[in-house]
Amino acid sequence: MFSLIVHQLCTKPIYKKEQQESMYESGEVENILHVPVKAARVDATCSVFHDDLVRKFTNHVMKDGNKVLARELVEKAFQKIKRIQLQRYHGADDSEKKASIETNPLKIFHMALTNTKPVLQLTPIKRGGVTYQVPVPITDNRARFMAMKWLILAARDKDLRVHFPEKLAWELVDAAANQVCSRRQLLSCIFQDMPKKKTLTLSL
Amino acid sequence: MVYRLCKILTLDSIFRGVSSVSHHQRALSVVAGASEILPVGEKQIRRFRTVESNPVKHDHNHAYKFYTIPLETKKQLFQHGGLPTFFEQQTQTFMETCIMIRDPALEILHYLKTADYTRPAIRYVMYGENGCGKSLTLAHILHYGLASGFLLIHVPWVPNWMRACKEVSNSATREGCVDLNLDAAAWLVHFKSQNAAILNTIDLRMSKEYVWSKREVTKEGAPLMELVELGISRVKYASECVIALIKEIKAHSTQGRCKTLVAINGFNAFFHPKTRVMTEAKVKVPPSKITLTEAFVEITKYDWCNGAVVLTVDKSGIAPDRRESCLPVYQLGKEGFEHLDPFVPICVRDYNDKELESCLDYYIDRRWLQNEKSCTEEGRNELKFLCGMNPYRLMHICAPL
Repeated sequence: MFSLIVHQLCTKPIYKKEQQESMYESGEVENILHVPVKAARVDATCSVFHDDLVRKFTNHVMKDGNKVLARELVEKAFQKIKRIQLQRYHGADDSEKKASIETNPLKIFHMALTNTKPVLQLTPIKRGGVTYQVPVPITDNRARFMAMKWLILAARDKDLRVHFPEKLAWELVDAAANQVCSRRQLLSCIFQDMPKKKTLTLSL
Repeated sequence: MVYRLCKILTLDSIFRGVSSVSHHQRALSVVAGASEILPVGEKQIRRFRTVESNPVKHDHNHAYKFYTIPLETKKQLFQHGGLPTFFEQQTQTFMETCIMIRDPALEILHYLKTADYTRPAIRYVMYGENGCGKSLTLAHILHYGLASGFLLIHVPWVPNWMRACKEVSNSATREGCVDLNLDAAAWLVHFKSQNAAILNTIDLRMSKEYVWSKREVTKEGAPLMELVELGISRVKYASECVIALIKEIKAHSTQGRCKTLVAINGFNAFFHPKTRVMTEAKVKVPPSKITLTEAFVEITKYDWCNGAVVLTVDKSGIAPDRRESCLPVYQLGKEGFEHLDPFVPICVRDYNDKELESCLDYYIDRRWLQNEKSCTEEGRNELKFLCGMNPYRLMHICAPL
């Protein structure tokens, strides 16, 4: 009950310096100056290196609330991405090839996410006693969640003798290079098969 | 200025790192926004790098700059240890081995150049908090030793023997003592790789005969390398070989046939009673009962000349009960201090402002700092704040960026 009141009456904390400055410039800050503010998240920082997608990704990697370990794993994965890409960069002879190799781990992470995001998702729809898996439009949040989930699961599925950050790094690098992970491949196979099955007119 | 030159380049190509652009044009354009990206032009490269790769010529003009260790020298010196593990990984990623020329190293190099080698060997003890750069300073001094023609006696990390030894066996010659034969043989391989070149030029011979068994004898007048080879091949006698070798080198140095540089990392581990070396009966063995200790305690005395002893005292290499202070007196204990007294203490401190700037420039140059924000003044200030000027912490904070 108390959390409901807090949720209705208090505003979210704004911890990014640029956001605060823009709110002061535009005058939006007047609306929230005299409103109580919720407590800040543990992972909210005004650091210039803070990225919201990485924050979300770290939360998905986390198990049993061990955020410290999750953050270390993601940071090590980023480090490994850099080492992989720099090895390729220094190994490339052409200046053109060198220019095409992306060495920024954050950029690779964003590219991997956009490449892994599905456009549609399957929902079970029951008609005439038969449950059909029908592709339906997907919200951006759900797509982003599925992309992150698939990347992490694909990384965990790999060889058990290799540590998770290394597997995750390779998964992100492959996804950024558009070598899609198995789950998305499976989904795209299902979508390809759809026209061959019975066409359904569904009232959704 | 350089900024305007690079507005010609597209934003995309800049963030991908255009390597075809030469040093003159390698600068990042101004990004729309509050924070400015600082250019890394030619002047800045001169600011954090020096071309001088011979440590004999290093002086205060080269202070806070990175110098490159040639690949062959690195193989010769550090193939079997000497550089910290994470630093090794960095050298693989950066495609070069670069060490910063810092004040403690310059101080010790000055002392080594100006010392009177007819007097007893001076002991220099480096101390400092974790991650301040003791191991890398020792590596720099070792490179100087090689370049100046010193014979090198280098122990990369003593706690490897005291806390992670490979094999323990009872000593055949000394009662109650314990041999770490595999470690001793590994050290002899390390000694050989570092000193093979110099021992070919200087002819050092054994001063007396050593009888190992009925059939194995090292005769008087045999070359020193024969003793090293024997220790490597006959692992059973490796520890005794090490002791014999060190005593021979000490004698040769005093007689002026060669000059010796002793470099030991983590010397306090020889005097801390808690080790992880256990006999078959699961009884812990103190360092005083390990044969290898005798060799290196022998060489760090002051009863010989024509040599220098550079030691490091590190609190991370010993049991957790002695980690309150990093100072030499506390770390060496009563026994260690009485053995080493008098010595020259040299403090290895955290980075100062210039060193930190130099380090960040180097990381940007090597493409280690990839995040665009890390090139901006805000980003650099944040990194400076987060690492607390500690080199190790800076290296690890910059790792995911």
